[in-house]
Amino acid sequence: MPDLQKLYDAVLSGDRNTAVAVTQEAIATGGDPLELISKYMVPAMDEVGRLFECEEYFVPELLLSARAMKGSLELLRPLLAARGAQPVGRVVIGTVKGDLHDIGKNLVASLLEGGGFEVIDFGADVAPEKFIAAVQEKGANIVALSALLTVTMPAMRTTIDALKQAGVRERIKVMVGGAPVTEQFAAEIGADGYSDNASAAVTLARRLTATAVRP
Amino acid sequence: MRLMLISCEVLFREMCDAAARSPHQVDVEFLPKGLHDLGGKGMAVEMQRRIDAVPAGKYDAILLGYGLCGNGLHGISARHTMLVLPRAHDCIALLMGSREKHQQYFDEHPGTYYRSTGWLERGKGLQQLTHVTTGIDVTLDQMIEKYGEDNGRYLHEELTRYRSAYTRLTYIATGLEADSRFEEEARWEAAERGWEFERLAGNLVLVHRLVSGDWGGGDFVIAQPGERFRASYDDSIVRIEERA
Repeated sequence: MPDLQKLYDAVLSGDRNTAVAVTQEAIATGGDPLELISKYMVPAMDEVGRLFECEEYFVPELLLSARAMKGSLELLRPLLAARGAQPVGRVVIGTVKGDLHDIGKNLVASLLEGGGFEVIDFGADVAPEKFIAAVQEKGANIVALSALLTVTMPAMRTTIDALKQAGVRERIKVMVGGAPVTEQFAAEIGADGYSDNASAAVTLARRLTATAVRP
Repeated sequence: MRLMLISCEVLFREMCDAAARSPHQVDVEFLPKGLHDLGGKGMAVEMQRRIDAVPAGKYDAILLGYGLCGNGLHGISARHTMLVLPRAHDCIALLMGSREKHQQYFDEHPGTYYRSTGWLERGKGLQQLTHVTTGIDVTLDQMIEKYGEDNGRYLHEELTRYRSAYTRLTYIATGLEADSRFEEEARWEAAERGWEFERLAGNLVLVHRLVSGDWGGGDFVIAQPGERFRASYDDSIVRIEERA
């Protein structure tokens, strides 16, 4: 068994190659995938989140840590699926109709994946109908909406209204974020949660999932 | 009236023109266009500081050459002098002449970069402050130097991919340009990035109305001393916060 502290360090420092190598070695020597994730990768990402919040880490560091973790997760996911392990939750994510800015959304998607969520990423400029279809057909239990412009923020309200119209609003939790979005706005449009950064979005999704219907 | 205009430098030529033609006496202060890169909260702190620095009792109104600007004007309050703010998401509406025109153009042309004289000639100001942390305008070489070959390439790709979502560059011509160099520069930039180019005739009616004291008709929000602006996230864009 390799020194798994190296996996923690690799995720923390954004070293994808080392994260992948240690994971491969651990798998080859019979390591427990769940233990790798829960004892090393998740704590490493929690530390990344802490460093981000106290402004020692910035967006590039977050992206690199998420990348290292994803590299490792890609190897572990088939093993978990073979055991019948369920994701923490199923999130459908996208920037709202008219908004083409997706860096923040991509980061949130990566960190959610790292946090054990199954993520359906529709990319940018996503129409409400697509979110509805994801809930109806793919069983998503969290809808995550992003907007970078005040011009496109009203589309968040429209999307939530469309989810209500389609009769699926009660089944899911809606979380919103993006530079101009505020907690007050989230409350006004009837979202279930708001996060002002990508790292806190994972904590929020976990909290929302605890009260949501499992996929 | 005696008016104090605090404006983003991106509207430098337009505001100077309007101030020169105003029937009122207008003092002008321009702030760096990079302020909006501080994010809504950071920009609002700086805006409030500049507004508070205007001496009490000297002016009949403080005019703001801004829009909501990514919430940069959200929460701004009038202390001793009334504030006048155009109802606009940002300077693009001020250059196009109305928030309706801006919304319509935005809806019909997603993925558009906008240029005007101010966007082309005004300095990067505070932008450096944010580039260090977001990495959005950092070159591939700088990324590789800082993060190594593998991670540097990855970051550069991630942070510049948004550019491929843009397909058009629209140059808003206001008629205040001394010659064709601004338009040529914008055309060159569009060609360089492989985007469609459009020259759009601007309309400075909102800019002129702001500076000449013509604030009726619902196109401006006025905050009296003690009142504060709030983003409304609907067609009105900005409103006055109800007093608790």
